[in-house]
Amino acid sequence: MKKVASLNQLDEKALIDKLIEGDAAAFEFVVDRYHSIMLSVARAIIGEAFADEVVQDAWVSAIKALPRFEGRASLKTWLLQITSNGAKTRLRRESRQLSLDDGWQAEPDYKFDQRGHRIDDVLPWNIDTPDALLENEQLRQVIETTYQKLPPQQRAVLTMADMEGLEMKEICNILDISASNARVLLHRARTALHHSIEKYQES
Amino acid sequence: MFECKDVAEEASNYLDGDLPLGKRVGLFLHLVYCSCCRRYLQQIRQTISTVNILRPQEQHDTDTQALAEKLRMLSKTES
Ligand SMILES: [Zn+2]
Repeated sequence: MKKVASLNQLDEKALIDKLIEGDAAAFEFVVDRYHSIMLSVARAIIGEAFADEVVQDAWVSAIKALPRFEGRASLKTWLLQITSNGAKTRLRRESRQLSLDDGWQAEPDYKFDQRGHRIDDVLPWNIDTPDALLENEQLRQVIETTYQKLPPQQRAVLTMADMEGLEMKEICNILDISASNARVLLHRARTALHHSIEKYQES
Repeated sequence: MFECKDVAEEASNYLDGDLPLGKRVGLFLHLVYCSCCRRYLQQIRQTISTVNILRPQEQHDTDTQALAEKLRMLSKTES
């Protein structure tokens, strides 16, 4: 594990050189670091069935193309773009605009009165720092489970935006969705996680 | 007029700075007198930072070590 962690410190250029040299630790590091985000993107675009295959193919194309990688985008964005292209080719042409007009609500209606005021107080959480949240094994489990149950597109947007720090523009590009769709998906994902933490706090 | 329900809908856009000025001001004014919504926004913020630290992962059963090795072998034959 240690040698993998130390690779984290290397800059990307050095990492790519190591890959080109065929350094085993470098290969383990990139697969470990990026496989699951690539899967997230593939699942968001074509669903579960072909996602594994698309990601395997994306890895192969990426490794073949590596000597020509110019570093204009980060390695991560580049890998996600290759994955996205593969998934889209696989999907062929199909309308990519989602219909988000499905009556989804951030909070259920019963929480508000007719004028849209909250009926009950929003209760304070008794665990209120991220660190305290994380020390709580049960809650970790709640968050993991909720994350895995999110629809793939919500999961992919959440992963790229809130965990990987990608720009909205990049995310829209990778998933081939509009900015307003991406924002809605992100808010739904966050809201679902908020609900699960809230429910946990109440129990 | 911004109500609690609108705050719940627009929370992410507000936090991410993607709300047009008019709505932004409306939401802000609502926050001035509504402690529920202040708390709600705080919790959404906290949810985001928790996810960021916890980094839940996609579930998969790929043997990543085997994949890494396969790719390494492939890169050898390529160069
Ligand atoms: Zn309110």
